[in-house]
Amino acid sequence: MKILIIEDEQELAQNIADYLSGESYLCEHAATFGQAIDKIESFSYDCILLDLMLPGGSGLEILESLKKQNKQEGVIIISAKNAIDDKVKGLQIGADDYLAKPFHLSELSARVYSIIRRKQFGNSNIVRQNELEIDLLGKTVKVANQVINLTKKEFDLLLFFVGNKNRVISKSALAEHLSGDLADMLDSHDFVYAHIKNLKKKLNEVHCDNHLKTVYGTGYKWEG
Amino acid sequence: MSKLLDKPLKTFTLYALFILACSIPAYYLVVDYIWLNELDEHNEIIRTRMEQGLNDIDIDEQTLAQTLNVWNNVQPGTTIAPALPNDVREDSIYTASKLNIYSDDGEIDRFRGLQTYLNIYGRPYKLTIETNVEEVDETLFAIALITFLFFGFLVLGFILLNRRISGQVWLPFKKTLDKLKDFDLNKQSEVVFDKTDIEEFEELQTVLKQLIQNNASVYLRQKQFSENASHELQTPLALLKSKLDMMLQDDTLSEAQYEKISSLNLPLSRVSRINKNLLLLAKLENQQFDESFPIDLGALIDETTSLLADQAEARDISTVLKIDHQTMVTGNKYLVEIMLTNLLVNAIRHNVSGGAVAIDLTGRVLTISNSGSKPLKEERLFQRFGNASPDNPSSGLGLSIVREICQRYNWKIRYDFKDGLHTFSATF
Repeated sequence: MKILIIEDEQELAQNIADYLSGESYLCEHAATFGQAIDKIESFSYDCILLDLMLPGGSGLEILESLKKQNKQEGVIIISAKNAIDDKVKGLQIGADDYLAKPFHLSELSARVYSIIRRKQFGNSNIVRQNELEIDLLGKTVKVANQVINLTKKEFDLLLFFVGNKNRVISKSALAEHLSGDLADMLDSHDFVYAHIKNLKKKLNEVHCDNHLKTVYGTGYKWEG
Repeated sequence: MSKLLDKPLKTFTLYALFILACSIPAYYLVVDYIWLNELDEHNEIIRTRMEQGLNDIDIDEQTLAQTLNVWNNVQPGTTIAPALPNDVREDSIYTASKLNIYSDDGEIDRFRGLQTYLNIYGRPYKLTIETNVEEVDETLFAIALITFLFFGFLVLGFILLNRRISGQVWLPFKKTLDKLKDFDLNKQSEVVFDKTDIEEFEELQTVLKQLIQNNASVYLRQKQFSENASHELQTPLALLKSKLDMMLQDDTLSEAQYEKISSLNLPLSRVSRINKNLLLLAKLENQQFDESFPIDLGALIDETTSLLADQAEARDISTVLKIDHQTMVTGNKYLVEIMLTNLLVNAIRHNVSGGAVAIDLTGRVLTISNSGSKPLKEERLFQRFGNASPDNPSSGLGLSIVREICQRYNWKIRYDFKDGLHTFSATF
């Protein structure tokens, strides 16, 4: 699966590429408006990460030209501006998601994952991960046809882990994922532990192997 | 409030009244002076005529005495009588008030008198002439009446003229004012004032135009600044965050290294939070959130509290909600959300373990209270970085943002501490 990273900050683009280059993701990079337009016209991608402020033009124009060409790429805007009007405008023009900088790579990865799944699977929204069968649309999880009753937050967590397979995720990234902007306003991220404990317990109950590993007490990793 | 032109009108009227009132005695004194002068002249003429007349007619002493007697009887204002040569003195002029014997109503009349000595055929005679003068009160009354009549005309004229002038003269001012009322910095519209031929208004318009232009450019620069600052700061922050995430992926990390790296996440989050909040404040001051819609406050509180439920639970804090679901407020939803979140996060983070948060929305008043031990310093509470303290680190901007949002919509926010409860109440 090909991902295009349109970002003028070289190092950030490199980090994103390194993080995402697991699985079957193949990352390409465009640092300017011109490069981005060239790449979009010549190739097609599964997902495009789009920075709005670029040397040579605005990311919104790239988005417009994508839509004009009727391209089906999923687009996630990764903007530093975090201006509400940009967000609304971007989503109106046809971006699929919006992520304000600074973000955790794990958050970005989870969003890329969910966009690619949504685009790829069309009507059938079933994702298979190890022995898990995850229905993205119905928001249900099954192991060997046995439904696991997960709360919304547990389901979110599970998808987050699956989208960051074999990667270590810090507790603060999980906290931010679960409570968005609120996470950094509160000192305690202990609630994350409670949700993970519950998720593990429910997976254990249906005899799912333990893929969820704790790393040194503050990080987690889904192995599979 | 009174209109600008009414103020001088009042003063002018009082001044006119003062001047006209002062003119009454002045008129009286002048008129009286002229009058008495004329009468003195008149009396002098009579005297000269009598002296000449009596000296010219050739009569004997007895006939003269008889004639004078008759004269004295028929001319009561004039008496002439022989005088001893020793009695002859200087002429005297006087004014006297006495009973008018020819009038039935016993009124007192004023007379101007001349006492003089004539020389008829070489013998002295004493002549007294008294001429009726207008009385003091009558003269004063007439002058005062006329003066006040004219004062009335003056005031009436003032009022009518004032009305006409204010209508015409202030028209360009009113138009300018209307233009200013319609002006909205957010829309960056240009203000075009109507032409005026009045120097002061022309000057006002020029100054206003400059002021607006300056403000508009400052506004634009501010807006650009907040966008650029955001970009410039958020990108390196994003880089830091991604570097940390990458470092965590290193399999060779020791536990100590891992902990050090992941402990950097918290201060990094705090920096990005402060940055976000500062930008929000800048945008708020720039009035960059102009769309307002009716918001169901109760529903928004429900949403926010459910988002915060995890955190409250983790600290064993119970939440008591009492919400009137009829309350609608008008504002920008994003801002109202931020305001609620900041207040609620405050109530949770500055709470005691096992404490409670009570949220009460009744009518137009929202109160959020939480347990606490001692009152906060109210004067520092809403200041930027006012509550930043090492043992309770926070961005220190939450409440100043709350205040800024409240000010923007003219809502009232206040803080109270009573019976171990910190209470913030917002009146919409």
